[in-house]
This record gives sequence, C-alpha cells and structure tokens, in this order.
Amino acid sequence: MLQYVNVSIDGAIIHAVKGTSVLDTAVEYGICIPHLCHVPYLSDIGACRLCIVEHVVNGRSEVTTSCTLNVEEGMVILTNTDKIRKLRRNLAELLVAQAPNSRAIQDIALRCGVTEVRYPFRNEDCVLCGRCVRVCTEVWQARAIGFVGRGKDRHVEYPFGIQPDFCKQCGNCVQICPMTIPPCDGPMKPGEEYLCRKCESQLMDETPGSCTWCKLGEGFGCGRYV
Amino acid sequence: MPRLNSYRELEHLRERLREQRQSITTTMMVCGGTGCRTSNSQAVIDAFRNELSSQGLDDSVRLCVTGCHGFCEQGPVVIIEPGNTFYCHVSPEDAFEIVYQTVVKGELIERLLYEDPVSGERFRTEAEIPFYKAQERRILSQNRMVDPCSIEDYIVAGGYTALPRVLNGVAPEEIINEIKASGLRGRGGGGFPTGRKWDECLGAPGDEKYVICNADEGDPGAYMDRCVLEGNPHLVLEGMMIGARAIGAGKGYVYVRNEYPLAVKHSRIAVEQARELGLLGDNILGSPFSFEVDIARGGGAFVCGESTALMASIEGKVGEPHPKDVHTVVDGLYHQPTTLNNVETWANVPSIILNGSSWFNSKGTKGSKGTKILALTGRIKNTGLVEVAMGTSIREVVFDIGGGAANSNPIKAVQTGGPSGGCLPLDKFDLAVDFDVLAEAGSMVGSGGMVVMDEETCMVDVAKYFLEFLQDESCGKCLPCRVGIDRMLEIITDITEGRGRMEQLDLLEELADTVSQTALCGLGKTAPNPVLSTLRYFRPEYEAHIKEKKCPAGVCKALITYWIDPEKCNGCGVCIRGCAHGAITGEKKQVHVIDDQLCQKCGICRSECKFDAIQVT
Repeated sequence: MLQYVNVSIDGAIIHAVKGTSVLDTAVEYGICIPHLCHVPYLSDIGACRLCIVEHVVNGRSEVTTSCTLNVEEGMVILTNTDKIRKLRRNLAELLVAQAPNSRAIQDIALRCGVTEVRYPFRNEDCVLCGRCVRVCTEVWQARAIGFVGRGKDRHVEYPFGIQPDFCKQCGNCVQICPMTIPPCDGPMKPGEEYLCRKCESQLMDETPGSCTWCKLGEGFGCGRYV
Repeated sequence: MPRLNSYRELEHLRERLREQRQSITTTMMVCGGTGCRTSNSQAVIDAFRNELSSQGLDDSVRLCVTGCHGFCEQGPVVIIEPGNTFYCHVSPEDAFEIVYQTVVKGELIERLLYEDPVSGERFRTEAEIPFYKAQERRILSQNRMVDPCSIEDYIVAGGYTALPRVLNGVAPEEIINEIKASGLRGRGGGGFPTGRKWDECLGAPGDEKYVICNADEGDPGAYMDRCVLEGNPHLVLEGMMIGARAIGAGKGYVYVRNEYPLAVKHSRIAVEQARELGLLGDNILGSPFSFEVDIARGGGAFVCGESTALMASIEGKVGEPHPKDVHTVVDGLYHQPTTLNNVETWANVPSIILNGSSWFNSKGTKGSKGTKILALTGRIKNTGLVEVAMGTSIREVVFDIGGGAANSNPIKAVQTGGPSGGCLPLDKFDLAVDFDVLAEAGSMVGSGGMVVMDEETCMVDVAKYFLEFLQDESCGKCLPCRVGIDRMLEIITDITEGRGRMEQLDLLEELADTVSQTALCGLGKTAPNPVLSTLRYFRPEYEAHIKEKKCPAGVCKALITYWIDPEKCNGCGVCIRGCAHGAITGEKKQVHVIDDQLCQKCGICRSECKFDAIQVT
C-alpha cells in the first residue's frame, strides 16, 4: 500500500507518495524545477546540481538538490526564491560556457535566466551528466561504459577504451545524451559560440514557477517528456 | 601470550610486565616517527643497538623506538630516562658518546642539547624548551613512552584501562552521556559533537553497525593523524573499541592511506596483537561484547577523506561522495548505521572515559573543549607537531611555540585548516584556536594544519596553489566543484599572469559563493575558502596584480622583473655561473646585467648573490 506524506513546496501543500523525491513530486504537481542529470527511471546522483531547492529546517534553510532529497512529513521546500534563482543561474552559466553546442544546454541556460556568459566558451562534447552511464548500467545492465578519471580528467569511456562484446549496441546512451541535440542553426564553430536565445518567445518575462509544458522542457528532456 | 578472559587477567599481565621491567635502569627513547626517520633515525637506532650490546648493557638499558615527539625539525630526537635528558640532531656517530657519557656515567653532552635559536641558551629537558613549554600535550605525550609495535609497552603505560570500565554493567547511554558532557568535537575538520553523533547512531535501526577510523589525511603539510596512528595505534584502537561498545557495533575499519606505510604497518601489528590477547574478537575480556577491526588501505585520493566517499572506497566502489540527505550515522557503510571519527577524536576517547568528562573539558573554550594537535609548518623557526589547549591564540602558537619568523622577513599570514581552510592576516592572530571563532573569521580549525607565511609569500599565488590542488583532487562528479574550481583557477591564473580585470574579482566572489553553496560534498563546499579568505583579507594584493600589474611579494613570474642593483654589484660573477639560462652578462669586476628576454625568473641568481645586488620588482 502506498503511504503518503504532506509536504509544502512553494507554499502548496502536497500529498506526496512516501519514498519519492522532492523533484519527482514537484514535477508531478506542475511545479517546474529545472534539471538535467535526472531521468525518471534512473537513479539520481546529484551531478548537475540544477535542481537545487531550499530545504527549510527549524527556520534555517539549506541548499540541496531536490532529486536526491526524499519527501518527508512536514517538509518545507522553496524552489523559486531569489537565492535559488541566482545560484541556479550561475550553475547554468557554468554549464553553457562548458558546452554551448547543444540545444538542450542552451535551453536550460535560458530557462535558468542566463543572459550573458562571463566565462570563455569551451565547446566540450560532454557535460558529464552521467545519463548514458546510468542507462547502460541500470536499464540494460550492460556496464559497457563508465566514468574514467578524476576531476578535470573525468570522462565517459569503454572499459580500457575498447568497445566490449557486452555492449548491446542499443544506442540508448546516444538517445539520452543532452549533447546530441544540436542548436537550431546547426553546430556552432569553435570560437564562435554564442547564446542564440531563440527560445525566448517560449517563456514569459519572469521564469514561471509552475510547469507550462514548455517547448524548452522537450529540449532538455524534462521529466514530463521522457 | 595467552588470551585474556577477564579484567583481572589483564591486570595480572600488567603487574607481571611491570615486575619484569624493574631490572631496567635506563630507557632510551629514540624517535622512529616519519619526521625523524627522514633525518636518518633508523641509522641512529641501529648504532645504539650495536653500542648497547657491545658495552654489555642489553639487560639494564631498554632501547625504545617510539612514535613522533613533535619536534620534527630537531630530529632525530633521543630522550634518556631517568633524567629526561633531551638530545636533538643526533647522528649515528654520537651513539658511543651518548651511551658511555650519559647512560653509563650520567653526564650531559652539552653540544647535543637543544639550543634556543633566539637566546642561544641550552636546555636539558623537554619541559624547559619553549617549544614544549607552551603546549598541553595530552595525546602526543603518550607517544614517548610507547613502542608502537609493542602492546606490552602500551599496557605497562596504563593502556587498556578505559576499555574494561565500559564493558560490564555500563549502559551505552552512560558512555555516550560522558562523551557528550566532555564536549568532544570531531577533530577531522567538521567539528561535529562526537557524543551527538554516537547517540544518533545508537538510535538508528540496523542489523549491524560499524565504526570507522578516518586516517585518510591528505591536507598539504598536515601529519597529525599519521603521527598519532604511527606512534600509538593501540590508543586509537582502544578509542574505537569504546565507541563500538557505545553504539553497539561489531565491526570496525581503520581507513588509512597507503602513502603512510608506517601507519599501515603499525596499525596492522596493533590489531594482530590485540586479537592475540583477546582484546579484539569474540567476548572481549569475558564480556558479551564482541568486536573486530580491519585495516582498509586507501589509494590516496584526497576526496576519500570525505565520509561517504571513504565508505564507498571500503565497499570496493569508486571513491566518490554521495548526497548526504540521509546522514551516514543512519545510512552509512553497506547502508548500515556507521560512526566515522577522525584518528585524533578516537585517541581522545580513552582518556575521557578514564579521567572523566570534567577533566577533559577543564581545558578549552565555551564551544571547543580539550586540546588540538596542529601541524605547524612554513616560515617559522620551530616546525613540528604541537598540541595546544583549545582557545590558545594563534599568536602564541606562531610566536611562542613556533619561535617567530624563520628569517628577517616579517610574518604576514597563517593558513589554517588545509585546502578547506583560509588565510588569516597578522592582525587576526589574537583569534583563538577554536572551531567557532575560526569559522567566523572565514577559516577553520580543520584537521589542524597551520602554515605560516611571510612577506615573500604572494596570497594570490597561495589561493592559486590550493585551487590547483583541489582541481586535481576533485572527483569530478558534480558541476560546481569540477567546473567551478576550474573556472576560479582560470580567473586567478589570469590575475597572476597580468591579464586580470577588476570585474573578474566580483565574478570570482560570486562564483566562489555559488560553489560553496551548491557543491555536493564537503570538499566542494569548502573549496572556495582559500579564495574567499584571501579576497577578504588581502584584497589590495589582488588589486595590485590587476591595476598595477605588480606582484608585491615578488612571486608571480609574469609580473616581476629581476634586475641588478649597480650600487651593490661588485662583479664577482657568481650569478653568471649560477644562471642556467645564460641571461646574465658582464665583465669581471664590472656591473652585471640581466637580459629580460632570456631571464626565466627562477631566482637562482638571487639566492647565489652574497651582496643582495639582485632585486625583484
């Protein structure tokens, strides 16, 4: 039997299923929390940190990721405060500066309110969200790819760099990758990256706190579209 | 030795060992800690051993190879009991003289006594030396009587007397209340109240509970845990046993990094010895309590000092942190309740049980009780391990114990708490070594590293050094730590290489704030501290780098030029021979000139010049 707990998310009292995460609950109830590494049927690792929320305990708020935080009775969550919006914008800025050549990442940056990027663009191919590794490990039980290296050297790789026999060649890793969606005008040349902001018409001036089933969500594989 | 089945048998053993040792008239304690070993104490030990047997003193003189005595700079260190004579910088050639003069005839050897660098006075015993005088050595002083490879030594010195007190008829809550009352806080850096941690772990539901000793110390320049575990592993083990009894754990792990071979070796020997005596295993000393300890070796990743990463590493998984929305005291190793404490925390536990909480908290401040071991390094006269009461001011540590600046350059700042800590300027030296006080000032006690810096240290360069360290040691799992540190380093590199812009300072601050609030684990959350604290206290240095394109301390290579002062140069030619790049030209007895184009700014010429003619601006 499902057990329920009452949580407050942005003031809305929600009757949530015990054992689910705050992010899943919020998205389910139409409260939009931007997220990238979270995929509904995969485990959560809290890598992209975009889904941060304020968790208020005894009057003190602490910033934590909503994907790894499970709902509990009486929990108070704030998803759209000035502090969170600012932190989220800074994170998205870091992310898009790292990999501007993906529509998914550009959409997320726009969704999080990034209007200028203060770092030099890097144009990398991978943002290490770990979606591919988890789909390979958890859904297909293949473990054909994994993380190799530490820190700056961390990358996704086959075991010892060779495609193994046990790779089922299902292609799920490619489908689920946010980097496989090229920007609207096609791939940008290295050194000429920019924020195209073409999706701006999809959003209101102020980022809405509720889910509008926006086209952007489709772009970055929001939980609702998967 | 036979297995001990009761407290009475342990006491019998202690009595017997003490009787056996009555024939020993003199004990020579030679430091075999890592610090002294690097200054060749092994050769000194061998020389003493040969000397004692050749003079036929094997039976009456005991040679005890101990752990670290703290004064590593003066190593190898030898203490001769009775009389407590303290000899430093002992070489193997001195062995005959020491044995013949001091041990046999009881005379002092003046030249081996410690000489105070300030007054030139010589001191005979440890207690008189200013370095030791201002300390409160509760844990480190136990190192000197004990050979870490000998459980007998530990038992003779009064070890394993706290353990029997908690075995029979004591409720776990009583032990925890005693620890709570003592006010002991985690010595690894976080400063979480130990009693509360144990209490939460006791209350957490689980089939099996674990205790872990975190000896994965990785801060640059810090080696407190290493020396405690190397020097007195049984003390740590006894603390773990008491903790395990309190929370109801049946299994413990000592997670020690493989780069500490001596600590690995000594803790392994200690576990085997304790097992042989029945102090580990089933029904310890005839009580219902059973406990087993394993040594887990770490691969040396800095991030594995973080509790969740450490536990993943013990489980055989990749050493990466996990979100801690549920604390490890509830969901830790193998998803069971786990109590993880630092080496020093465990080492404090037996004496609290033995002497009571009021003895422990007689030293310290309101929020921080007891003592703290600090690794004092950097540009000061006396470096080594110091143990001071909480609440001692940084000034006392740096100037009274450390002896002040190593050379003529005045001291500028002190970096506390390793890569997660911050830099405090000279005018903050009256702050106390206290968890809350230092945290408020933007630094932290951390694990206890204390690096002293003088005017020749560039604070921007210090921040850059720590960022480089952290960038290398970040696991790379979460975005703010992996990319955020990298971007901070990018900005700081720009600044040190003269490409900095003033608006980058604001960006740096904003980014540092973002990383500290959003990173996944403790490493990322504290990573911006070196940047934030140097920005807070040394902003003019950053501004000088950006606005004037100058490095005031003369460190950042892109912003400095070497030139020869024609007034001082007498044309001796030493710098020409020293320069590896052929950048210096000049006739003999004529003023020399440095070619900017060829100069690599290595500084060799400057250290070679006897006349201070080479200037840096």
